[in-house]
Amino acid sequence: MLKLLQRAGQWVFLRVERVFNHAFGEEINPLYHLGQISFFLFWIVLGSGLYLYIFFKTGVEEAYASVEQLTLNQRYVGGVMRSLHRYASDGMVLSMLLHLGRHFIFDHYRSFRWFSWVSGVVLLWLVYISGINGYMLPWDGLAQFVTVGTAEWLDWLPIFNGTLIRNFIFEGAVNDRLFSLFSFMHIGLPLGVLVLLWIHTQRVPSAKTNPPRPIMAWLAASLVVLSLIKPAMSQGPANLAVAPSTLELDWFYLPIFPLFYRWSVGGVWLLVGGATLLFFALPWLPPKLRRHKDAFHLMIRPDNRIVAAREGETLLESALRDGIAFPFDCRNGGCGKCKCTVLYGSVDYGVHQSEMLTAEEKKEGKALACSATPLSDVELEYVPLAPLGGIEVKRHRAHIESLDRLTDDVMRVRMKLLGESELRYYAGQYINIVLPDGEKRSFSFATPPHERGPIELQIRHIPRGKFTTHVFTAMKVGDVVEFEGPLGSFFLREDSRKPMIFVAGATGFAPVKSMLEHAFHIAMKRKMVLYWGVRSLKDLYLPDLPKQWAAEHSNFTFIPVLSEPKPADHWTGRTGLVHEAILEDYPDLSGHQLYACGSTGMVEAAHPAFAAHGLQQDDCFSDAFRLAPHAPRQAERAELVSLGGGGGSGHA
Amino acid sequence: MPKALRYLAQAVLYAAFVAVIGYFSTSPRYEHLPPDEALIKLSFSHAGARKEACRERTAEELAKLAPNMRAQTVCPRERVPVTVEVALDDKPLFRVVAPPSGLAKDGASTVYRRVPVPAGMHRVGARLSDTPGGEFNRGGDATIELKPGHVLVIDFDAESGKFVFRS
Repeated sequence: MLKLLQRAGQWVFLRVERVFNHAFGEEINPLYHLGQISFFLFWIVLGSGLYLYIFFKTGVEEAYASVEQLTLNQRYVGGVMRSLHRYASDGMVLSMLLHLGRHFIFDHYRSFRWFSWVSGVVLLWLVYISGINGYMLPWDGLAQFVTVGTAEWLDWLPIFNGTLIRNFIFEGAVNDRLFSLFSFMHIGLPLGVLVLLWIHTQRVPSAKTNPPRPIMAWLAASLVVLSLIKPAMSQGPANLAVAPSTLELDWFYLPIFPLFYRWSVGGVWLLVGGATLLFFALPWLPPKLRRHKDAFHLMIRPDNRIVAAREGETLLESALRDGIAFPFDCRNGGCGKCKCTVLYGSVDYGVHQSEMLTAEEKKEGKALACSATPLSDVELEYVPLAPLGGIEVKRHRAHIESLDRLTDDVMRVRMKLLGESELRYYAGQYINIVLPDGEKRSFSFATPPHERGPIELQIRHIPRGKFTTHVFTAMKVGDVVEFEGPLGSFFLREDSRKPMIFVAGATGFAPVKSMLEHAFHIAMKRKMVLYWGVRSLKDLYLPDLPKQWAAEHSNFTFIPVLSEPKPADHWTGRTGLVHEAILEDYPDLSGHQLYACGSTGMVEAAHPAFAAHGLQQDDCFSDAFRLAPHAPRQAERAELVSLGGGGGSGHA
Repeated sequence: MPKALRYLAQAVLYAAFVAVIGYFSTSPRYEHLPPDEALIKLSFSHAGARKEACRERTAEELAKLAPNMRAQTVCPRERVPVTVEVALDDKPLFRVVAPPSGLAKDGASTVYRRVPVPAGMHRVGARLSDTPGGEFNRGGDATIELKPGHVLVIDFDAESGKFVFRS
């Protein structure tokens, strides 16, 4: 039944949104910015309210008179402000209800979204209370109706039991202090709304609170026009000796008031209480008998970040939550800005505008990150909007300056730029070597950014690997290579004081070397420890370098870990998996930053284990490479090829 | 869609949005009280008599109590509910039994009733019982012209023990 209702609602929403897309375009379609519109209308309410407050007088006679004077004597300022205050409040209720309804219809209120849903329901009720309180202030016929009705409603509660209404029973029972109380409430409640609005958006990654400017301009102008055409007016002074007969009721705020007299006050309490409980409980209805499914992991390129996706979380939400600058706009499957390529794994495409993601695009592996959810571990690639740190990603040419075989299967390649003096990058970033046939292979800088010499790469030979076999068998000094970069967001964070743990698997040592040498160069005083995990002793291809660092820098420690030491190694050091060695030494990682670089298998195994030992998401940075090449889908857009690396094999 | 047409469409849709706001902010009009009706409101707060009279403790009862608790007179706190009946033109309009407030049922009974009645000249009577026996020991009436929309408030003045009719 619920699913049927949601499917029907989605059908309606998608069609209405499509019509709006034709009129507004996807980027400024107001239906994609309902929450932000509510925010914007709140600012109008607040601004106009402050103006009204200047002229409002808190007294039985003065309240009505001051509002009348404001409305009639300064019609084009005070009158418009009063109307704006009312109409923006009404618009806020309307946009909030649509916002809430849309999330319900699209099933975006369960699982981790419960917090936003519940805080949104509390917010809606608080807005209602604020609005109802606001209608009491002008002390006109409507104010009398609302005040008496509220007192009658609250009097149903045993705590009041008929005592509240005695404050409004006779003409003359009301005194000036009541309006001071109303005013105080009408300042305090909206402040509460503001705090709740802030809380409401806290768990929404990269939440935007302002709609696009054209929407703001259109909305403000429309409301001003409405205020001029139909100014908000008072409905005669309040008189408790006479019951208002016919009223111009604000149906956005006051729809339950007539029910007090059509049903019963108790019946309305049942309705409101029941609706509130239902709304609060909705994220858990119907209750699930089975426990949560295991979360999937996303490998997001070109950042090379591994992110844990929560149940029901879209690819976009997971990426944004992890601080990835994933491009997006509408978040509703309507604009296509977050279109990405799924390189590996499967996704549920979710509900979206069909023209934004065609069947052909799905076949090509495209997905809209804002509506797609993972059905397995997923590797995906997006096109970044802005380069990291303003460093532009460009194609470069370099010639091979030296080739040094560090071990049987690791080659140190030094390249000198052709026609350029230097290349700016962050320690830990990587480049894509562009092969003659257009394929790309990713390798991290092993040199720190400050070093003005050749660029060093450390390349491990992959059996049958096209490029690495070329490096080991045919490449010679003087050869020219083409590459693009710098790429990736795996770099040293210098804005923290936490001690750092570096985890390198095999040639994952290269970016770690770059980061450590940069850290030593800038005299970083933070504690640093490097765990370098390899199979056997011969795989520690630069064993003396970290030892030298440890000797020169008291804040640095080096711990090599061998997973399969050979008898000939006579190894007496640490053995086993490198991440297990770390967890043995650091059972609580909550106070550390961790940089992990190695094979996808290593990083994927280590990531959840570190998280389980308290490592904060914000303090975990990873760069993973795939040694076993898988068939990358051909990226359609040229920039994707140039930035992403096409699922690159042999990274590092 | 041509740019001008798009702006026009946007204007139409925003106009529709504010038209919805403009309309439902005042319409449809709500008839709270039909034009030929008036209201009678009964509202008062009055404590009924104690359910049981004060009595003297026996010597045995006093002996069982701690020395500092040995008060000779004991007065049960619970009060009787207040029963009130209102009649319009000598016909019963409503009857309310209001229990005493408080966990020990020793507080005042509070009554609020709101009844629409036809406008015009009416004889309104009210009587009240606040004693353990349940007899109506207080009452009052008045003949009042209730104009359309006017509110007649029936209050009870505990000090004088009389009903007050205010319109």
